[in-house]
This record gives sequence, C-alpha cells and structure tokens, in this order.
Amino acid sequence: MSPDNKPILTISKVIKRFGGFHALDGLSFHVVPGEILGLVGPNGSGKTTAINVISGLYAPDGGEVVMDDVSIGGMASHKLVHRGINRTFQVPKPFMSLTVRQNIDVALAYGRASAAPPAMAALLDEYRLAEVADRPAADLNNVQQKTLDLVRALATGPRLLLLDELAAGLNPTELDWIAERIKALARSGIAIIVVEHLMGFIEHITDRVIVMNAGKEIFEGTLAVAVKVPQVIEVFLGGEHAV
Amino acid sequence: MLIYALVAGVLFGLYFSLVGIGLNLVFGVMRIVNLAHGDILMLGAFIAFGVVGIFGIDPLFAVPLAFAVFVLVGLLLYWVLVPRLQGSVNPEMLSIILFFGLSQVIEAITTIFAGTSERSIQSRLLGTVFSTIKVKLFGGKPGASGPISILGQGFPAPWVVAAGTSLIAIAFVYFYLYRTRLGTLTRAVMSRRDEAFATGIDVDRVSAAAFGIGLGLAAVAGVFAPFMFGSVTPAFGADATVTSFAIVVLGSLGNPLGTALGGVVYGVCYMLVQTYLSSWADLLPYVLLIFILLLRPSGLLGRRVRVA
Amino acid sequence: MPSSLKHLLFIVAPLIVLLAVLPGVYQNHLLLFNFVIFLVLAQGVNIIYGFTGYLPFGYVGFFGAGAYGFAIMVMHFQTPAVLAVLVGGLVGVALGLLLTPLLRLSGAYFAIANLAASLAVLHFVANPALENITKGPYGVSLTGTFNPNMAYAAAVVVLALTLGAVVFLKNSRFGLALQAVREDAVSASMAGVNVVKMRVIAWLASALVAGLAGGVYAWYVSVFYPDNVFSGDFSIFAIVFALFGGVATICGPIVGVIILYGIYNLIGFTTPQYFQLIYGLLIMGLVLFLPAGLVSLATRRGWHVP
Repeated sequence: MSPDNKPILTISKVIKRFGGFHALDGLSFHVVPGEILGLVGPNGSGKTTAINVISGLYAPDGGEVVMDDVSIGGMASHKLVHRGINRTFQVPKPFMSLTVRQNIDVALAYGRASAAPPAMAALLDEYRLAEVADRPAADLNNVQQKTLDLVRALATGPRLLLLDELAAGLNPTELDWIAERIKALARSGIAIIVVEHLMGFIEHITDRVIVMNAGKEIFEGTLAVAVKVPQVIEVFLGGEHAV
Repeated sequence: MLIYALVAGVLFGLYFSLVGIGLNLVFGVMRIVNLAHGDILMLGAFIAFGVVGIFGIDPLFAVPLAFAVFVLVGLLLYWVLVPRLQGSVNPEMLSIILFFGLSQVIEAITTIFAGTSERSIQSRLLGTVFSTIKVKLFGGKPGASGPISILGQGFPAPWVVAAGTSLIAIAFVYFYLYRTRLGTLTRAVMSRRDEAFATGIDVDRVSAAAFGIGLGLAAVAGVFAPFMFGSVTPAFGADATVTSFAIVVLGSLGNPLGTALGGVVYGVCYMLVQTYLSSWADLLPYVLLIFILLLRPSGLLGRRVRVA
Repeated sequence: MPSSLKHLLFIVAPLIVLLAVLPGVYQNHLLLFNFVIFLVLAQGVNIIYGFTGYLPFGYVGFFGAGAYGFAIMVMHFQTPAVLAVLVGGLVGVALGLLLTPLLRLSGAYFAIANLAASLAVLHFVANPALENITKGPYGVSLTGTFNPNMAYAAAVVVLALTLGAVVFLKNSRFGLALQAVREDAVSASMAGVNVVKMRVIAWLASALVAGLAGGVYAWYVSVFYPDNVFSGDFSIFAIVFALFGGVATICGPIVGVIILYGIYNLIGFTTPQYFQLIYGLLIMGLVLFLPAGLVSLATRRGWHVP
C-alpha cells in the first residue's frame, strides 16, 4: 500500500435493507487517495449494493458514509458527483441514442470537476474511442460501452472512482490494457474501489482487499493473505468462485 | 342508505374487477399497456346488442360468444403486432402509442357501422334463460325477474348477475394461473421475464395465451356494460380504459388477482361518492388513480421493487 | 456561424415570416390559426416527450387550463386580452407545478396519470357547482375581447417563442443533458446532471407553451365550452404530428403538422370517423414501421436533420 495518508472515504456500520433482507449489515471500511481497494466476495454478499450506497443510488438505512469529513449518506447522486465521486456500472449504461462525443460532453458540462477536467480529445484518444466518437453509443460493442462508462466518469474529474465489474467480459489483452489505465489513474491520486470476480485481475491491481460476506466485511488486507484465512476460504468454497 | 351504498359498491366492485383483470393480465405478462382495452369492452357490449337484436335471446348467451371471439382476436392481434413491437428500442412506450392507435381504429370502425347513438338493453332481458329453465323444471309463471333482495335492500338483477359472472371469471383466472401448466409458466414470465426467456420457456406462447384471455375477459365484461352503465356508445372505450387502469393500479399492476381487491375498493368508493357527493362523482376515477399512483405506485398489494 | 443562429435564420425566421404574411393572401384565417396552434402544441409535446421521454397523454389539460385562465381574467377582472393570455400561460405553469409529482412516474404510468389529470381538470372546470367562476358546462362567451387578427398575431408570437425554446434545446448543453436524462436517468445523475430539476424545467416549459396557446385560442374563438378546449383531440393530434415528423428535432414536428394537418384539411372534415380511422391506422403504421418519425428516413442515410 503506497500512501498512508488520510482516508478520502470512510464508511462505518452501514446498513441497507430491502424489505426484510439485509443487503448491507454493518459494513465498514475506508479508502485513501491513490489507493486501489478491491471488494470481493460471493454473489449476493453486498458488493454492488455498497457501490450503490456510496454513489447515492440508495440511501443507507443506518451507519455513516463520510467523505472529506462530511457525512454524505443519502445525498443525491449528482451532488456526490460534484463532490468527486463517480462510478461505472456492471451493465454499462451509456446514453444510447447520443453519440459518444455527446455522452462525454454531458459529463464535461455538468460534472463540475474541481480541477480542470481532461480534454475531450485526450479522453477519446487515451481510451480508444476516437474512431467511434460520432457514432451513437448504441452502436458500440460491450467493451467500448464499458470504456465509455469509465470515460464519462473521468470527465467529471473524480477523486473517488467506483468500478463495478469493469473487467468482466474483456479478453486478456484488453484486461492488461485496462489494468494499466486503472493503475495510472490511481497514481494520479484518485482513490479507486474495484468490485471484481476475476481474482487474477484483483491480485494484479489492488493494494488491499475487503472480503465481504452477507453484507459485512470478514477480512481486510492483501489478497495473498486473504486466501490463507480459513473464514475466507470457507466463504469462497461454499460459493461458486474458486480462488 | 349506507348499507345500500356498500352492497351496491361490492356488486359493482366485483364487476369492476372483471373490467380490469384482462388489462392487468396483459400488462403483467407482456409489460404492454393495452390502451384499446376499453374498446374491447365496447365491442363486447356490441356483441350483446347483436345477440339481443338479431336472435332476441338472453344476452347471457353473449358471454361465451364474446369470450371465444375475442380470445381468437387476441391471438391473431398478438401475432400481427407484438413481435415487431418487442424488437423495437422502447417497446413499453411504443406499445402505448400502438394500442392507442388501435383503439382509435376500433372506435372509428364501430362508429362507421353503428353510428354514435347511445344503445342500451332492457335489463329484464338479462337472465331470462334462468327464469325459462325455472318455469320448465318447476312450473310457475314466466315473468320478468324483479329486483333481488340482499340485506333487506332491493338491487337490480343485472347487477347481481354481473357480479356473479365476475366471481366465476376471477375463479377461472385463479384456476388458470395456479392449476394449469400454462398458467404456471405464465406466472414465471410475470415474475421474471428475462429469466423466463433464459430457462427456455416459450414466452411467445405464454404471452399470446395471456393476450387472448385478457381480451376475452374484457369482452365478457363488455357484455354487462349496457346494464351497469345504462348505455354504451362507440366512444365508451376511452373512459373505460382509464377506469380499468384505475382499478388495476389500485390492486397492483402486474398481479391479476390483486385486481379483484382493487375492483371492490373502487366499487365501494364509487358508490359512496355517488351517494353522498354525487356532483363530484365524475372526478373520482381520475383523482383516485393519480393519488394511488403517487402514494403507492405498486398498488395496494404490490411489493416494493428493487431497482438497478 | 453557430448552428443555433443557422436554425433561427433558416428554419424559424422563414416559417414565422410566412405565417405573418399568409393572412394577407389566403382567405381561410381560421385554418391558418389552427395551423399555428398545432405547431405550438406539437413543439410543446416535442419539448416534454422528445427531450425528456415523458409521453403527455393529457397535454390538453394545460391548453384548456390556459383557455379558462384567459376567460376568467376577461370575465371577472376585465383584463386586456394580451395580459389575459399571459395569465393563461401562468395557469398552465401552475397546473404543471401541481402535477410535478407525476414526474416520479415513468412510462405508461406517467402517460395514464397525465391523461387522468387532464380529465380531472375538465370535470372540475365543467362542474355545475363552479358555475359562478367557470360557467360550468354552459361555456363562456367573451365577445368583449373578440379580435381575430390580434389573436392570430399573438399566436404567431407564441409560436416564435416556442420555436426559439426548441432551437435552444437542440443546440445547448442543457438540451443535451435533458436527452441524457431521457436515455438513462441514473447515468445522467452520474454525469452530474440534477435529474429532477431538469425534468421539472422541461415540464413547466411545455406547460407554459400549451397554456399560452390555450389563452390565445380562447381569445380567437371567444365562445367555447369545456369539452372544446379540453378535447382529447388536441393531445392526440399534437402527439401524432410530433411523432410523425420525428421528435427531438426542430423540423420533425413542423413537417408533421404541415403534412398531416394539411392532409386533414385537404380531405375536409365532414365525417370525423373516417379521419379517426385514418389516424388510427397511421399511428399503428408509424409505430410498427417508422418509430422514429419521418426524419429517420434521412438520418438513417446519415444525413443530419436539425
């Protein structure tokens, strides 16, 4: 873990209920600027729910979400974006009938990035979207749509980036490429939380992981250590994902 | 007066359940809003007019006829319209517009052939088949069936017959959904359409059946419309659609049996307002619909839905 | 030249000038007036449906409310017509504000709730219990302000304002953000867009436009009944015209009105049910074969349509 400075985001004892089901049941963790934190755990352990709560899609039913010493739990998504949080979606959600350029334009115009946001041309170039810049997002393939999700997030100049299964469905070359991009973003000071099933990918890019089960964390540390903890092994062998 | 309003409300309510249930079945299975629902009701009423006017027999005979005809019409329409619709970008929104167009076509054609005048059927004609059988079996004098007495109050016989038919129809829907194989598949499609596709259920067949039955039930409800609303014109459809929607939303959109509850609640409200606040009764369906949509979008019986 | 200026110069200005001079050479002023009204309403539908995706089945509610806002100002306060038209617009906005909770609904729920709302307003206005205020079902007669030429001019001004608003939406980041909200509200909020605020602004803008149109209409016809100004035909026609041409464009609704309302009048309207039949079939054909409107014939070929 490189920087050991002050956390940008701390969540403590966060609860999220759907009817009687506790999707998050007292989840706590923190992330510091420049760090890549992995959220791993079996299906239904609450990883995506955690991302949804942090990004304002759901209001938490209990506990605290604190960013820069301000409690942000339940704040509207666009306000969180203006505070520097952004995310991608498991199933990419671009503005289908708008062109790639227009997709990014919206985020550049409304994202209120604190520092100067990256330039359109640079983004298109760096993320290999220049060729399709004037095509509707609906025409893109799945990987391009995922990239567009990421670029839209970056256009708002985030300081905390939540990546929900960005790597799923990518081929090995694309995986290497996206891993390098994520690492470069972290080096620029962005705190990144990665939800991922591909353990190799997680091991390759994260500084630290939180292992989740049934809505709370059961382990915090490096993946290399995690795989030796009996409780973690049990959760994963009981689940469908071998380590 | 209160008892009268309450009993009449329940009778009307059962009938209203029948009015809405087909719309809900179609929505539940296909996520398609059939804005021509009210027009199917109107056509059902015209089948009743036809049965009485041409054959001079009890309009109850129109019930099986209307059901059979519109199940077939439903299957036919399904195969013509729906596959193209499902292939489009935004099927739900386009379905609203498409079926709105269909409702215009139905209303126009009916007007061209039948004119715009209000039609009704003498209420003593409904149920003559029963009194005839009674006379045949037990003797006695043939005559018009008078008001039926419930809790010491007299109610028009057609209201009771319509409520009874509705109960049978609701039981039929229950039986279909919970006791037949196709019904089980239908419930599977209603709860998780995308997964139903993945598990290899023939969603098209299930949807076509639901569409046919939905239209058939609407037409059956239409047979009683002349008795329940006094008269029917080709323009009756639009109002009937809004009313049906209010009933369906009141129960729970996507849960056909919830419609039974929605219908009764609606019927009782309707009769109470009619009795005590009659000049504002016209507003009721609309205001009720808006409030229910805003306060409990998933209906009285609905579950909270997880999003995203 | 920025594209917004181009759109104003080459689409809006010629149309407004044409409509301004036509009464001098063409005798059927009522027809011209109706054209202007439908151009306004179709663009109003374009603002709310084309740019935000809410299908306003009860759009006529704002129109009728505007007409009655005009009538009440003239009947009870003897205000000058122009002022009463503005009040009509404000009444439309007020009704829009009252109905903002409907924006929480989506898809069919919104469309039906909006239809129910317009019918509720109709039954409210037409209630005999309110005869002292609205004249209930007996209709209003505003002979004091009767002045078709001025009313026509006012209608053209309202159209110019409406087109100006659509040109702005088409060329601004505000309009782009609205379309983003239409495509995916969650993603739009992740682009930093205040989804609720954007929707309300578009909703009120389209309510204002319809309210002004209703006020102008009341001024022009001067005698009308609730069933006239709350007729569902206004909603239907406006939606069909806009869809037929193609929404989320400037030209689409204009083309739609000119072609469809033109055909409507060429054939004549002696037997409304035949028109209803043709319209119904047209709507169905449109959805099945040309869901993005006439302009999609051009955009499919890669041509840009403003």
